Amino acid sequence: MKIPIKERGLWLAPLITVLVLWELVAGYIIRDSLILPRFSSVIYSIYVLKGVLIPDILVSLLHFGIGLTLAFCAAIPMAIAMGWFEKIFKAIDPLIEIVRPIPPLAWIPVAILWIGLNHYAAGFIIFIGAFFPILIDSYTGFRNVPKVLVETGKVLGCTGDKKLIRYVAFPYALPSIATGTRVGMGVGWMCVVAAEMFGVSNSGLGYRLFQKFYYLHQMDYVIAYMLVLGLVALCTDRLFRYLVEDRMFKWKRGIVK
Amino acid sequence: MNHKLEIRNLTKSFNTNSSETNALENVNLDVKPNEFLCIIGPSGCGKTTLLRMIAGLDKPTSGEILLDGKEVKEPSPDRGMVFQEFSLFPWRTVIKNVTLGLEIKEIDKEEQYRIANECIALVGLKGFENHYPYELSGGMKQRVAIARALANDPSILLMDEPFGSVDAQTRNVLQEELLEIWERTKKTVLFVTHSIDEAVYLADRVIVMSARPGSIVECMNITVARPRKRTSIEANELRERLLTLLKLHCALC
Repeated sequence: MKIPIKERGLWLAPLITVLVLWELVAGYIIRDSLILPRFSSVIYSIYVLKGVLIPDILVSLLHFGIGLTLAFCAAIPMAIAMGWFEKIFKAIDPLIEIVRPIPPLAWIPVAILWIGLNHYAAGFIIFIGAFFPILIDSYTGFRNVPKVLVETGKVLGCTGDKKLIRYVAFPYALPSIATGTRVGMGVGWMCVVAAEMFGVSNSGLGYRLFQKFYYLHQMDYVIAYMLVLGLVALCTDRLFRYLVEDRMFKWKRGIVK
Repeated sequence: MNHKLEIRNLTKSFNTNSSETNALENVNLDVKPNEFLCIIGPSGCGKTTLLRMIAGLDKPTSGEILLDGKEVKEPSPDRGMVFQEFSLFPWRTVIKNVTLGLEIKEIDKEEQYRIANECIALVGLKGFENHYPYELSGGMKQRVAIARALANDPSILLMDEPFGSVDAQTRNVLQEELLEIWERTKKTVLFVTHSIDEAVYLADRVIVMSARPGSIVECMNITVARPRKRTSIEANELRERLLTLLKLHCALC
């Protein structure tokens, strides 16, 4: 027997399966809310916490916004320079690769000493996390511009790097820049808890999760905030895809379905 | 002295590791205005290199190239080029591909569209202005590339096996259309191909090149009256002669 599946609802079945499994495992096998609270009690926690939830989301969005804006503004010019000029790439690639593996967590003391206990310090941690994916995906886009397109640009009158970048390399690299930004946004959200756990402000999803709920061993609250964090990140990702990818990259439909 | 293009003692060598190979050796060539010149030769004979140097994309090791009496030093929109590979900018629609050269020149928007529409009509793509390259067939892509080169109103049109990657039927149609465009625009055309049939059908004059080092071994005027028939006896005789020539100079390949 064939059951027609509507593609639109394709995501629903796995989601419901996981949630039901969670509820059953937590309620009948583990039966210890300190180890794994039930899904239903987590949902109830979200309801209970609704008063602090919205301000926490807003503060986290502020940190995220600062970090991501900085990362984007710093990474794009560097990506153009590294992606287009082979010598610049060779000169600074080793430097980048030394700094890149240092986890954003390790930057916390530096952030506190340099910037102090404020929103910008939290933004800085997120900046560290988001900067490298944006940089690397973007410069890869610039490095991969097909030779024939560059030469076409030249014979059509692009004299000099500035025009070639403007008319050929930049538009070619835009999808890579978008991909890098999406990956950067994901890493940025991963850094929110780290960015807020050292107490730059008395709110924020990460701050509340780590400094309040965890110390009080309120695991249902912790997991509730983890879920909220995931949902907010999902929303920003969907918004980005709606605003950028679907509108700007009509021409890619022939390449990627 | 009434030559469109003059090539004098042109030599190009490439350095591979320690050895130096001459891709082109002592090439001399004059091209008359409005002439349709085909260059044929075995692969590796440097015909593409020759065209790229005329375009300004590669630099000669020695010798000089003069277009309208001026030395060619770098790429410029007065030499239109159509590449063998599909070279449309995938993020631009057909019309935006064609206007690009004019956009770079910072010509008035209305004028850009007027010229572009004319060129698109010339290559028979009216109605496809707002399509993206991925929506076009191979033959259509090359038509857009031709329209894009023509939009800059180049002094000479350089074509590097432009129909090499389209199927045989489309190829014939494109050849006919190219001749129509050539007759209407009165451009000088330099057309690289490895197909003898194509050269005999299109050219006023065929240049035969040999490989390693690449040099011109024969210039053949094609005097068959236009419009030509592909299957005429005259054409066949010319084909036969060119084939023999190529075989002779391709013994090493």
